[in-house]
Amino acid sequence: MTWSITTFSANQTFQCGRTLAPLLVAGDVVLLSGDLGAGKTQLTKGMADGLGVVEPVTSPTFNILLVHEGRLPLYHFDLYRLDRGAQLEDLDYYGTLEAGGVAVVEWGDRFAEAMPDDGISVTLNIVGDESRRIDLAPLGSRGAELAAAWAAGCDAVPGISVVESSR
Amino acid sequence: MNLRIREMVAGDVPGAAMIESVTFDAPWSERLFAEDLVASGRHWFVAERDGELVGYAGGWLLQDDAHLMNIAVRADARGHGTGRALLSTLIVRLKESGARRMTLEVRPANTAAIALYESVGMRPAGLRPGYYAETGEDALIMWGELEDTYPEDRPPLILAIESSCDETAAAVIMGERTLLANIVASQIDFHARFGGVVPEIASRKHTEAIVDVIAEAMQEAGGALREAGDTRAPTAGEPLDFSALDAIAVTYGPGLVGALVVGLAYAKGLAFATGLPLVGVNHLEGHIFANVLADPAVQPPLVALLVSGGHTSLVHMPRWGEYRTMGETLDDATGEAFDKVAKVLGLGYPGGPVLSRLAADGDPTALDFPRAMMRSGDYQFSLSGLKTAVINHIRHEQAAGREIDVPDLAASFQAAVIDVQVSKAVRAVTETGATTFCLGGGVAANPALREALRSAIEPLGVHVSVPPLHLCTDNAAMIAAAGYHRYLNGDRLGLEADAMPGLRLDVVDPA
Repeated sequence: MTWSITTFSANQTFQCGRTLAPLLVAGDVVLLSGDLGAGKTQLTKGMADGLGVVEPVTSPTFNILLVHEGRLPLYHFDLYRLDRGAQLEDLDYYGTLEAGGVAVVEWGDRFAEAMPDDGISVTLNIVGDESRRIDLAPLGSRGAELAAAWAAGCDAVPGISVVESSR
Repeated sequence: MNLRIREMVAGDVPGAAMIESVTFDAPWSERLFAEDLVASGRHWFVAERDGELVGYAGGWLLQDDAHLMNIAVRADARGHGTGRALLSTLIVRLKESGARRMTLEVRPANTAAIALYESVGMRPAGLRPGYYAETGEDALIMWGELEDTYPEDRPPLILAIESSCDETAAAVIMGERTLLANIVASQIDFHARFGGVVPEIASRKHTEAIVDVIAEAMQEAGGALREAGDTRAPTAGEPLDFSALDAIAVTYGPGLVGALVVGLAYAKGLAFATGLPLVGVNHLEGHIFANVLADPAVQPPLVALLVSGGHTSLVHMPRWGEYRTMGETLDDATGEAFDKVAKVLGLGYPGGPVLSRLAADGDPTALDFPRAMMRSGDYQFSLSGLKTAVINHIRHEQAAGREIDVPDLAASFQAAVIDVQVSKAVRAVTETGATTFCLGGGVAANPALREALRSAIEPLGVHVSVPPLHLCTDNAAMIAAAGYHRYLNGDRLGLEADAMPGLRLDVVDPA
């Protein structure tokens, strides 16, 4: 099962991320892919807000990992600047995924090695100036459960549309 | 984690007396401390670790003779350079106040203390029989010409190490701004040494580079010092010896944790092995000091705009070592926005510098991009919306089958970024009453930004400093310059310190 969520403003993309926050438990991993400007930052800001993160969620492109304290620690990765999957070891990527928080990994699709055993792979697509199609693909049983609950949560937000499809 | 040496005040007396009482058999009372603190010719300092008083030292100056009266460090805080930091701060102060010699008494059995005193040039000069009344022990008298230990014509030598992101760098500075060596890994012929791999993101690459980078810096510093005719110089062809240094400065945040730990571990190891004091520097503070290094007119109160691939912030420095972050980016850093727009235009990554070169040939008024946060009334920045607006423009033009005028787009994007930064910088300078404005960070190399800030701020009667291009990108020279100020201020980093990827500038030195 996969889900396609369509948002029609940056604020709705933010709300979509916010809807996921209460469903998250320690160890959950969300991979984000999509072009520059597709809304990965907006979605993450919404998640962070829902997790109770107070400080601004700035881009982790430079630092590769930024950690924010909320209801659960939020490990915000951006693999944009990495050249090889082998560099994930140098960053303690695998240890961080299991460190008791929630991981959001931008550009996680660049390396096969970055793919977790379970979690959700999210692809953001630019449909119009403000509209984004957010595709959810679960990677395992926890991912399937989480994606279903997230999609249901988004469906309840006025203005956001959700389409479910089986592969 | 942070050690700070400052002058003792009346409120410190109970804490000092508490340490005194568990350290010595015949301790000074609180009253004795309080009386001595206000007596003439006395100079007292305390050491604070994370805000907690862990040691103190006091000296008495009579004309040009100084007497070390008392020095103690709480047992659980010893072995981290605390005693050395206290002693060197005290000696510098006594010297400044006119001392030419110093004497002290120490128990002959206290070999650790004797070694510390010898390391600052004190020498045994006899015994005072039965000096310690409570045990009947003799005292060893030590004596030293302060000219030999801290002569004025021998400003301190500091080795600085920087590895917070992509560059492995080391520098040696003498005094405030005499740079003896400034090595950045990518400047050395690493192609020959590492088979074409230039050190970058991975901590492994820093690990491979750091030994050579420091060796190169010490080699160059040795030569420069010999040319200057300094007595600390090594013989011809030899590198500067670590024992000739006065301190080691190191960037311990903010940055990429895997990169920071390499420089910090090396610096800690070196400090442990040599007994030299370790001074922690904030990377952002370094970018401000790139200006101090190049321009002696840079003085607080100042406002700095720090713009790089990882940072965008406006910082107020009312006094040396005191910082207040006035505003930061809420999303993307300035250099990152340049790099990402360049990427969308097919200019490669990181393509920010290419983008700014193209912008020079374009019309900055050709396209009207949003000036985010321009009228927000605060000092926050937001660049993500501008990035999206540029991407939308490109998409529309492509969909309509029109060719994009890259120079016009680059110039218009750059103008939108610069307009916001200039307007906030002007307001920050006006509001704080700063007399100096500094630009720092990799994007400080952008010619249009430098020019726009100069022409907006200089008419206000404020001195504007932009660092030379080679000091804009990450380097250790700026860390050395910042380290020198922290060293003189008595700030020390404990050997148990960790890298702090999210280190804030404001908490480095709360005042």
